[in-house]
Amino acid sequence: MSGRVADDTAAAVLPGGLRDPDAPFVEDRRGLLWLCEREIVRFMKLWMQTLIAPVMSSLLFIVVFGLALGDNIADVDGVPYKQFIVPGLVVQAILTAAYSNNSSTVFQARSDRFINDVLSSPLRWWEVNIGLAIGGVVRGLLTGILLLVLGVAITGVGVEQPLVLLVATVLVLIAFAQLGVIAGIYAKSWDFMAFVTSLVILPLSFLGGIFYSVDRLPAAWEVVSHVNPIFYLVQAFRIGFVGQGDVSTGLALLVLVALAAGLSAWCAWLFRTGHRLKP
Amino acid sequence: MFDHASTSDSGSGIGSPAARQALSVRGFTKTYEGGFTAVDGLDLDVPDGAFFGLLGPNGAGKTTLIGAICNLVRPTAGEIEVFGHRHDAREARRLVGLAEQDINLDRFLSVQEVLIYHAGFFGMGRAHARRRAAELMDVFELASKAKVRPTALSGGMRRRLLFARAMMHEPRLLILDEPTAGVDVELRSELWEYTRRLHEAGTTIVLTTHYLEEAEALCEEIALIRGGRIIARDTADGLRAQYDADDIAGVYLKAMQGDAAAGNAVPA
Repeated sequence: MSGRVADDTAAAVLPGGLRDPDAPFVEDRRGLLWLCEREIVRFMKLWMQTLIAPVMSSLLFIVVFGLALGDNIADVDGVPYKQFIVPGLVVQAILTAAYSNNSSTVFQARSDRFINDVLSSPLRWWEVNIGLAIGGVVRGLLTGILLLVLGVAITGVGVEQPLVLLVATVLVLIAFAQLGVIAGIYAKSWDFMAFVTSLVILPLSFLGGIFYSVDRLPAAWEVVSHVNPIFYLVQAFRIGFVGQGDVSTGLALLVLVALAAGLSAWCAWLFRTGHRLKP
Repeated sequence: MFDHASTSDSGSGIGSPAARQALSVRGFTKTYEGGFTAVDGLDLDVPDGAFFGLLGPNGAGKTTLIGAICNLVRPTAGEIEVFGHRHDAREARRLVGLAEQDINLDRFLSVQEVLIYHAGFFGMGRAHARRRAAELMDVFELASKAKVRPTALSGGMRRRLLFARAMMHEPRLLILDEPTAGVDVELRSELWEYTRRLHEAGTTIVLTTHYLEEAEALCEEIALIRGGRIIARDTADGLRAQYDADDIAGVYLKAMQGDAAAGNAVPA
């Protein structure tokens, strides 16, 4: 470097001369698009780990519980068991992908402090929020599409109410992408995020009616199921796929809207104020 | 070169559009959660085109001040302007480049991508960003490592990449927070020469360093900071005369000891 420095460094580094400090800020390409792209590039570089592994994991549940054991389990409300479990497994895969992607990308960026590169840029607070969240949205969507295609092909499950499924998917992606960002902002260690995934999201998913209808549970447990937010996610997806669930479509989507709105508001507050992001 | 009194009085910087200050800080205070006040009512002006050194012990408030300028620390009180723009305005942020003290490079991206995405966050178009990344990788001899991730680079190469990243969006104010900490003599010399050239091209440079000879060799003006306050500010010659010292190391020791003897406590 030293030989070059003396000759042409300034010309190379400031090719157009000094920037006019009074010129308005103009983007040739939106910084938000760059941040979105960066987040998608990050998980696509790890596609075996971020896409294939979770799809394979959910597929195993469908094969083992649906195909291998499903013939020995009675239909649930007229729905073959192998088809009954598909909606819950799809929504679980989607929400886990969205959450884990964003919690890890934000925590890693905080931990290594390269998030400063974004926070010191001209990106607006809401652009940073959207940009960091988009990776989880896209990863969750790709995971869901792959599982949907495979689930339909393997079990023959249909999509009875595509609009409900579409709305529920969008709301789940928003809610858990934002939850992941929030967890990444609050986390002090990788253990914290593993704790949330293993001891909060996973148990709530399995207790949310993925493998059973809650009306078969004892009354007390049925009540407990109704305070589990993931129960409503599973119901919304089940209504979308097989056209029926344990609660009404309106209630399931209402809970999803409330969840997505609440988590989005929390996330917006964190980015707008810089709480925990900036000392 | 720059008189402390004349550049920090109320007639310059904030409130006076006629004077062109690259950086103008008024009454900046930062109290962290838990009550620790790192900086208390600091005033500072750095003229456009200056090469300005900020010296002080660990915990003096240098990095807190830099963090606030770069929108990474929330000020408790005070005003900070960059070329007349509020420091948190987009117009201000695109004018500032920061090479932080710690290596903070995106581990998921390659060297080339680190540069390109940084430029992108500042609104640069793809073709321009690619061209500029190629230029800077050439200048910093990183071209052969373009596809390599930062984690696979040597310490010196990572430091060069930090420099290159800070320059990607063509900042007019470049802040270097201990840029030569832990680098070998050869690279330090190269970085010195590089920053000199940038300054000659008109870039305003704010440098913090623990290497006093570095500040003396590079900076037109030096401020000493202790306990979150500027305790002295002048050219290297002016400081030596003021403190009757042979070199900046002597100035530094006398200034710090004098400030402590005057009863000015360092926040604990």
